[in-house]
Amino acid sequence: MPPAVPITEKTVMANVGITEPDIERRKLVVGLGADDLARLAAIRPLIVNHIDELVDAFFDHLSKLPEAKVLLGYRELTRQARDLKRSHLIEMVGGTYDLNYAEQRIRLGLLYGHVGLETKVFVGAFEHVLGRAGELILQDSPTDGFQRYLSLQKIAFLDIGLHTDVLVHERQRIIGRQSEAIRELSTPVLQIRDRMLLLPLIGVIDTHRARLITENLLHAVREARAKVVVMDVTGVATIDSKVANHLVQTVTAARLMGARTIVTGVTAEVAQSMVGLGIEMTPFKTVGDLQGGIEHAESLLGYRVVMG
Amino acid sequence: MPVPILKQGDTLIASVVAALTDEDLLQLRDELAQKIGKVRARSVVIDVTALDVLDSFATRTLRGIVYTARLRGAETVIVGIQPEVAFAMVQLGLTMERVPTALDLEEGLAVLAAKRRGRGE
Repeated sequence: MPPAVPITEKTVMANVGITEPDIERRKLVVGLGADDLARLAAIRPLIVNHIDELVDAFFDHLSKLPEAKVLLGYRELTRQARDLKRSHLIEMVGGTYDLNYAEQRIRLGLLYGHVGLETKVFVGAFEHVLGRAGELILQDSPTDGFQRYLSLQKIAFLDIGLHTDVLVHERQRIIGRQSEAIRELSTPVLQIRDRMLLLPLIGVIDTHRARLITENLLHAVREARAKVVVMDVTGVATIDSKVANHLVQTVTAARLMGARTIVTGVTAEVAQSMVGLGIEMTPFKTVGDLQGGIEHAESLLGYRVVMG
Repeated sequence: MPVPILKQGDTLIASVVAALTDEDLLQLRDELAQKIGKVRARSVVIDVTALDVLDSFATRTLRGIVYTARLRGAETVIVGIQPEVAFAMVQLGLTMERVPTALDLEEGLAVLAAKRRGRGE
């Protein structure tokens, strides 16, 4: 498996497609207009004056949650997170919402991700801060307060939108890597006798995996100069016509290289479902179980088992 | 380029050394048909190790050679199909059923010898 490339904000932004035009579109989507920018400028001094109180509100809320233990347990991390949160809140009313703004948001999001702080947790704490900010804004200007708060809320939703998209991207990335890892667990081809190979198949055989398995097997046939392959399908839960087709192809390709295949391990359930689907595996020999299959292979190769 | 055909006892060995055009294949077919009669061969090995591609024309022609040889009293084995070629062939549905195959020249000769023992020669 290729080594994991460290994920940076820039990589994420490139992968998720967060560009200048994308950010303009996001601002359009939350309805951020000139009036909002004016209101945000108006509340800026208030926010800056109460910044410590707001940052405290965020982390106090987190400290009540068991999920935040890891983050808060490491002073280095907490200090870094506090600094970033401070900058975040100030930038929220900063008036400039560009690529750099997005990059800073994502940087913080990635930090949370690395310490295992779930989105719902920091979004919850974020709401808490917004609530506190809202109280301050309404106290400061009772008449315009609500409108001003709504402008701030637009920025908050811009941020949440960014975080959500990044989260989805990260999840996809992990799923992709896990799929790759599973594929590579793949199937070993084992030489169990001179000129005899064992191919134990396990799990789901999709087209991609079937291809890998076949390639591995054919190279092994050449390496080991195998004359017989015992292909055990005990571990294959379902054999539908697609899978059967893959298996037939694998067996045929091996035959072109001079190796005969014995298929073993077709379970009772699989056998019945195959008959139900009308699948015949006529091109090759099947034997009930692995032991029988190996014995048959040995006799094909001219071995005789002598007791004592 | 004609395919060199070597004689070893009553076995003919055709070793393909480069990519074959359709004409080359037909020429091989005709030459083998002739030589089998001339030297009274009982076995034929066609070694395709050097081929990167075995398309439908090639597989049809090879099958034709096998059947023709059999009619003239000789058993044929195709040897040396490489993993990539085998894979491509089955993907295209070129299964070459009823055409005897073996891993390489050594195996091919062993298979032919076993067949002849089986025929009681």
